[in-house]
Amino acid sequence: MTVITRRTVLAGAAATAVGAANVPAPARADDQADMDAFLDISFALTGIAKDKLAPFLDPVDIRQVYFDQARHNPKFNDLLKIWRGPPQATNASVFFDQPDAEIRYLARNIIIAWYLGAWCDPADLAANPPPDPLPYTILSPAAYTQGWAWRVAQAHPMGYSELRFGYWSNQPFALSLLIGGV
Amino acid sequence: MGEKSLLRAGTMGALGFVALLGGSLSSQAQTPSEVSPINPPIVNCNSNNLNNPDSGLVTSVVPCAPNFVNVTGLDSLQHNFDFYSWLTFVALNWPAEGSAPIGKGPRPGGDARTKWEDVTDFRQLSDVMLPNGQRPTWGARVVPAECRSKDGPGKMVIHLIEEAFDQPFRSGPLIDQNGNYALFDILMNKPMFDYIVDNTLYSRAGQRLFTQGRFDGSPDAPSQSPGVPPTPPLGIVNFPKGSQPADGNPGTMGALMLKVSWKVLSNGEDPARFHTVDGLVYTAPKNGKPGSCVEKKLGLVGFHAAHKTNDAPQWIWTTFEHVANAPEQQDVENNKVAGRKFNFYDPACGDGKCPVNQTPPQPWDPQVEPFPNGYKSQVVRIPLPPEVSAGARALNDRFHGLDGVKGTVWQNYMLVSTQWPTDAANKVDPTGVPAPTYLANTTLETYSQGDTPLSSSSCMACHNNATTHHVPAVASDFTFTLEKAQ
Repeated sequence: MTVITRRTVLAGAAATAVGAANVPAPARADDQADMDAFLDISFALTGIAKDKLAPFLDPVDIRQVYFDQARHNPKFNDLLKIWRGPPQATNASVFFDQPDAEIRYLARNIIIAWYLGAWCDPADLAANPPPDPLPYTILSPAAYTQGWAWRVAQAHPMGYSELRFGYWSNQPFALSLLIGGV
Repeated sequence: MGEKSLLRAGTMGALGFVALLGGSLSSQAQTPSEVSPINPPIVNCNSNNLNNPDSGLVTSVVPCAPNFVNVTGLDSLQHNFDFYSWLTFVALNWPAEGSAPIGKGPRPGGDARTKWEDVTDFRQLSDVMLPNGQRPTWGARVVPAECRSKDGPGKMVIHLIEEAFDQPFRSGPLIDQNGNYALFDILMNKPMFDYIVDNTLYSRAGQRLFTQGRFDGSPDAPSQSPGVPPTPPLGIVNFPKGSQPADGNPGTMGALMLKVSWKVLSNGEDPARFHTVDGLVYTAPKNGKPGSCVEKKLGLVGFHAAHKTNDAPQWIWTTFEHVANAPEQQDVENNKVAGRKFNFYDPACGDGKCPVNQTPPQPWDPQVEPFPNGYKSQVVRIPLPPEVSAGARALNDRFHGLDGVKGTVWQNYMLVSTQWPTDAANKVDPTGVPAPTYLANTTLETYSQGDTPLSSSSCMACHNNATTHHVPAVASDFTFTLEKAQ
């Protein structure tokens, strides 16, 4: 049985050994494959590094909230098909070039979810003119606090901060630390 | 796809786990030694390997830090932390004297005075943060004059300060089914105590000096422990860390603090169902009223342990409680509570008459018991995520079946969960992204159970806001004890 020590983990050997020897290769569930694709799409749409959107150790698991919301949309599977190709898409513009407005606005809604924790009815987004005010739902308390808009602004949600006492007298964190990949 | 994904998961797991360790893939440095004069070396830390046979698990040896076995992701790491919590709970509750192991003590249910109740192992907060900022002394019991005639071997003085009956942020007291206030107490181990003393953090004046970096040996610097070199004038509170022996370095215990909750045992309540203490509940003189000291038999109903380790600078937050404190929310909803007895819930009282998880009406005066108008708290446990609860339940079953726990008072205690930082090295989140996100004890965070950010109880999110008491205050490394300095 591989025991995790700092040295073995740093060498990468233990992680591989644990992964390969102690955990049988799971059969890939459709859900997991769709989640992987959803995360790839989310990265392409938001520009936020994928390991920031979905860390390996993720107790908040906001990705599941957004994934569950998105896949209830009747155009979600079409979105996945477009992304997967062939050819495999590499750029979010593939969605905004679609003639089907519902797909375009589903993609836009996914951006809104990640950035604002909110979900609009894609039909409302697609309406011309859209309703004013635009109805939306904050998907969960965690969705509010995990909104990427706050981090892009190098700020924090109103009424919520993970920062320590006195943080306001310091410079904000660098954008690259907050959203990665910049 | 499967193998590639597995390898990717393993690599990502290594990345996540390295983040947990606060290490760097580019560094091959040995585990730094945490040994210092106030954090002495320990060579026999509990190995806490969850694959060890059951026969060796019940031991008096405290883990110096968690050990990680069979790590594949969040759930397995949670399991390792929960296992470490159970070992810590057993070891800290080991009998303080005699040769009998846990569960074989002389009291009903095999109970005995525990290690954490002994002044050679832990100090109560009221004996550290003394009036007028006096320098505390390790190992010496402080018995107020009003309690001396009632004092005796094994008795424990509980100072009835506000924190002893009012939950954090003044969210209210907890009233049991006999109308008595639950009582709370905070204790710390020697490394934590020594850090406070050596850095003069036990007084407001000392805290001011600490943050001004006056530890330079100048004549007006406060005196320190003899033979202890001056602390570098950093002015940043940084308690010592626990570490497992590794790479040729000894282990260390690091700072460990406890918060416990007691209920008053009334006639007819079976002491064999509780770990008990003979309490001396002391009320200091105030506003012309004389001080008082009342003897009360107390039963343990809640137990927090927070342990700072090298892999968890945000500390590891463990919480246990009595199995009969409150029903699970789903049991109440499914009418599975009739005929059962709880410390803080009456199955016969409906929602209309006994609103659930509501703060008692004011005024709150713990010297007036039973609580006026027959009021009793009606507490229901708000569930944690199912995978978190299931993991804790599995370990509870395992430890409840072990010799020393099974059939003793200790079988009446269960792990709720353990909160730990999933990304201890996170540069933008000083809480280290805790898992589980929320954690509450029904006796210690009764009214803040739930999953609303910053409103619901999260050990790390709350303690991240802790500061010293002087002005201007500074962050106090996840402990509110320093704000009690006088």
